[in-house]
Formats: sequence, C-alpha cells, structure tokens
Amino acid sequence: MIQQLLGFLSFYIPEVMCIVLMTTLLVAEASVKEEHGSRDKIYTYALVVLGLTLIPLLQNLGKAPVIIFHNAITIDPFSTMIKIIMVLGTMGSIYLSRSSKDIYTNLKSEFSIMAVGVLIGGMLLASSNNMLTLYLGIETLSILSYVMSSFKRDDATSTEAGIKYALYGGLTAGVMLYGISHLYGMLGTIQFVEMIPKLAALQGGDLAIVMVSFLLFFAGIGYKVSCFPFHMWSPDVYQGAPIPVTSFFSIVPKLGGLAALVRVSMIFFANESLLSVSWIGLMLVISAMTMTVGNVTAIGQTSVKRLLAFSSIGHIGMMILGVVVLNDVGVRAILFYGVVYMFMTLIVFYITSHLSDMYGTDSQDVFRGLIYKHPLMAVIMVSVLFSLAGMPPFSGFIAKFNIFSVIIEKKYYGIAIVAGINSVISLYYYMKLAKIMVFGQPDGEEKISGFTTANQAIILALFIPVVFLGVFWDKMMTIAGDATIFIK
Amino acid sequence: MMGLASYLIISLILFVIGITVMIARKNIVAILLGIELVLNAAALNFVAYSRFATNNLDGHIFSLFIIVVAAAEAAVGLAIVIRFFQIKETIHVDEATTLRN
Repeated sequence: MIQQLLGFLSFYIPEVMCIVLMTTLLVAEASVKEEHGSRDKIYTYALVVLGLTLIPLLQNLGKAPVIIFHNAITIDPFSTMIKIIMVLGTMGSIYLSRSSKDIYTNLKSEFSIMAVGVLIGGMLLASSNNMLTLYLGIETLSILSYVMSSFKRDDATSTEAGIKYALYGGLTAGVMLYGISHLYGMLGTIQFVEMIPKLAALQGGDLAIVMVSFLLFFAGIGYKVSCFPFHMWSPDVYQGAPIPVTSFFSIVPKLGGLAALVRVSMIFFANESLLSVSWIGLMLVISAMTMTVGNVTAIGQTSVKRLLAFSSIGHIGMMILGVVVLNDVGVRAILFYGVVYMFMTLIVFYITSHLSDMYGTDSQDVFRGLIYKHPLMAVIMVSVLFSLAGMPPFSGFIAKFNIFSVIIEKKYYGIAIVAGINSVISLYYYMKLAKIMVFGQPDGEEKISGFTTANQAIILALFIPVVFLGVFWDKMMTIAGDATIFIK
Repeated sequence: MMGLASYLIISLILFVIGITVMIARKNIVAILLGIELVLNAAALNFVAYSRFATNNLDGHIFSLFIIVVAAAEAAVGLAIVIRFFQIKETIHVDEATTLRN
C-alpha cells in the first residue's frame, strides 16, 4: 500500500513541489517583516522552486505514460508538455509582478501564492483522467483566478472584473456540472476510459440526452478557454485586472482548459460515430465564430490590454482548429502553438506593463514613437507583433502554418479560408499598433527610463525562442512529436 | 415509492430556477444564490443516479466534492462582493459597468 503510494508519488513530484511551495509561501508571507529585503527573498525562493519543478517535469517527458492514483491522474507526455509551458508562464508572470506598479507593494508576495495555486489547478486539469479530477482542476483554477482578477482591491475596475469573472464562472461551472451529472447517469461511471465502450453502445433517446449533456459540459471548458459564446468575460477581466495577472490569465488557465478540451475530444470522439461528427461540427462552428469575433472586435480597441484580450480570443479560435482533426498531428500543432504563444504573450505584456506603469494608462498612445524613445524595446515589440500576426520568419508563422496544414490535410477547406481571412484581419490591427510605434511622432524628447539591463536581458532571452523556433522548428516538433495522449 | 424520474424532475426544476434567478435578478447576492441552486441540482442528480441507476459510489463522492467546492466558491464570491460594496456602496449588478468599450 505504502510502496504503491510512493510509486505513484514518484510521478507526481512536480505537483507535490508546487503544493509544498504554496504552503511554505503562505507561512513565509505571514511572517514577513515590512523591510525591503525579505520580500525579495520570497520572490527568489518562489522562482527557484518553480525552476526546480522543471527538472522532474523534463524527466517525466521521457518516461512511458502511466495512470496513477487509481485511474484519477494520467501522466503522459502531452500533459507534461502543457505543464512545462504553464510553469514557464507562471515564472514569467511572477517575475513581472515584482517590478509592476499595478500590484500593491504589500500584496506582492501574495501574487506568487495565488499564481502557484492556479498553476496547481492547471496541472491537475491537464492530467485529469476522470470527471472528478477535471471538475476539481477547473474549480481550483477558477476560484483562485477570481481572487487574482480583483487584486487591486481599492480599484473599482479590478473589483468589477473579479465580480464578472466570479459570477460568469459560477454559472458555467454549474451548467457543466449538470451536464456531467447526466453523463454519469447515462454511462454509469465517471472514469473516462470506462465511458468509451458505453458511449459506443448508446441508442436513440439516451444518445440524445448524452449529446445535450456534452453540450452543457462544453460550457465549463469553453468558459476557461474563452471561446465564442462564453468569451464575454475575457476582455473585461483582462482590462480590469492588473497587468501581471492579465499576462498570467492569458497563459495558464487558457492552456489548462485547452488541454482538457484536447483530452476529452481525443478520448470520447476519436472513433467515427454520430456523436463524433456532431462534436466536430460544433468545434468547427465555435472556432470560426471565436476567431471572427475576437479579431473583428479587436480592430476598434484603444486600450492595449483590451486589444490583447480580443487577440487572445482570436488565437484560441485558431488553436481549437487543432482539436477538430482529432489526431496526434493536431495535438502536436496545438502544443507548438502553445509554446510560441506563451513566449510572445510574455514579451508583449512585459513591455506593455513597463510603459503603462510609466504613463499611468494602458491606451495605445503610450506606444507613440517608441522607436525614438527606446529602440531595443520597439524593435522587439514590432517583431513580436509580426510574429503574433503570423508573418515569417518568426515562430508565429510556423505555429499558424502547422494548424493550416493539419486542417487542409483533412480537407476542411471552408474553415481554412475563414482562418486565412482572420489572419489578414489580425495583421491589420497588429500593424496599426506597430505603425504608431515606428511612424508616430513622440510628444516630447523624454526617453524611457528605468528599463534596466536586467529587464532588457529578460525580454531578449524571451525573444530568442520567438526567432529560433521559427527557424529550427523541427527540433521543437521532434520533442513535441512524442507528446501523444495516453488513453487507458 | 419514489423513482428516479421524480428526483430528476425536481433537479431540473432547481436548475431552471437557478438559471432564471441568475438572469432575472439584479442583486449580486441573489445571483450567487442562483449559482448555489444550480450546483445543488447537479448534486441531487448525482445522488439520485447513484442510488437508482448506476449502483456505485462515484455519484456520492462527486456530490460531496460539489458541496466543498460550492462553499469555497461562495466564500470567494462574497469576499469580492464586499469589496465591491465598499467601493460602490451598492450590490446592484447594473452598477458594474465601468469596463465597457
């Protein structure tokens, strides 16, 4: 019994490390003195432990997939890859929160507690193997996210963002649970694997109930990835929340939700059936609507945070296309997109955070004439915007190219055309921002101050993968190539 | 003897009431109550299916977790509502309109 438990735990080291980190951070934060140095120590500690979790994660990547804790958790290369991206995203956001003025000084170390908590939820969600762990993962992710979005607690917009997030999240979680309860009743189990044969045997009225239940079930996941009918919270929360939180939200909860969506689709709908055909149809409609709504609405935005929210909705629509094909190539394309998107998002939010701290607003005007004020920042920002729009030679192009190639291989020409049009629309608003930066005349002679060498080194380090993954993308694809989903 | 159907009908009624409350009421605390109704509808479903249809304990375990998570969610939701009230001095949802295009 004990031996078995220890055997299970040996695959679960990253999560255990995060849980221990969160608990110790709570204690450390409670005993912190209001001096300057001790908070820095807490930050260093959090970043170092998060960095150390990458070691067992990379080890797990090479191991054969296993099911642990009595079919509750699956550790396969896919979930491990998602976890690596989430850990890197968390580290980036925590580092950003340290310098950002958007987070109150006395709440700075609480940010890392909450972020690690959300990360634990995301890890649980990414490797969930039954309905219970999936639900718990989504709720751990959501409940801490509500707190994070209302982090600026004296600020009306931040609290309002928290309220909208909480009410919307509660609604969709309830609807999803109602769907799961009927799935459980019809199929008699909450284990994913035991559900598969029972799904195949369904007939007539039962099949109709299960279809409706899956639709309700999709509400919960759809809200987490913020796809079309459930995307309304996303711009408000992105705009209201402090910038480090926004950058965190566009990486960890989204990837967690996407991982659950990919896993559920691959498990339940990989076999040809009426259910699978209707799921593919649903996904096609949702991804087309998500892309179009996100990109078209982004055009008129003046707030950079809101613009990035809509652009991230557009990117999620693109990533959902990788789910539609229901094969390993699609999963690989999603993983590559996730890695690239994580780096691009971190850079964009890093620069936006510094500028909006300096000018006290997040409107697009803060970027006016950036090339004269800080050339390095401007060059990197313009390159990343090109990458987000999917222009070669940057990695954003390869990410989009992979998605296009998988859907065209499956002969979904209609959706490929929609995706192509959307890429053009997104190019328009990204280039509008780039134009302000390069051709706009700055208001005065003042330069960007306080962007230290360390900050410049960080954005350069984050920028290297954006360029190199665009050139040496086959290396990355080889790593992601084994990241298949394990069904047992 | 009450069968599965009566439980399912009750839970459907709870679900519909919950959704209606969430859409129709403008008081944030009332909306939180609506969320609780929806969660309880799901929990009732789980227990009823577990008792009458599936003959295993999965449903009971699930409903226990639902109760725990619902409590956590209500705690966080109410905490945010209190902050909102302290800033805006109202808990009317129509006052939450600062974030718009």
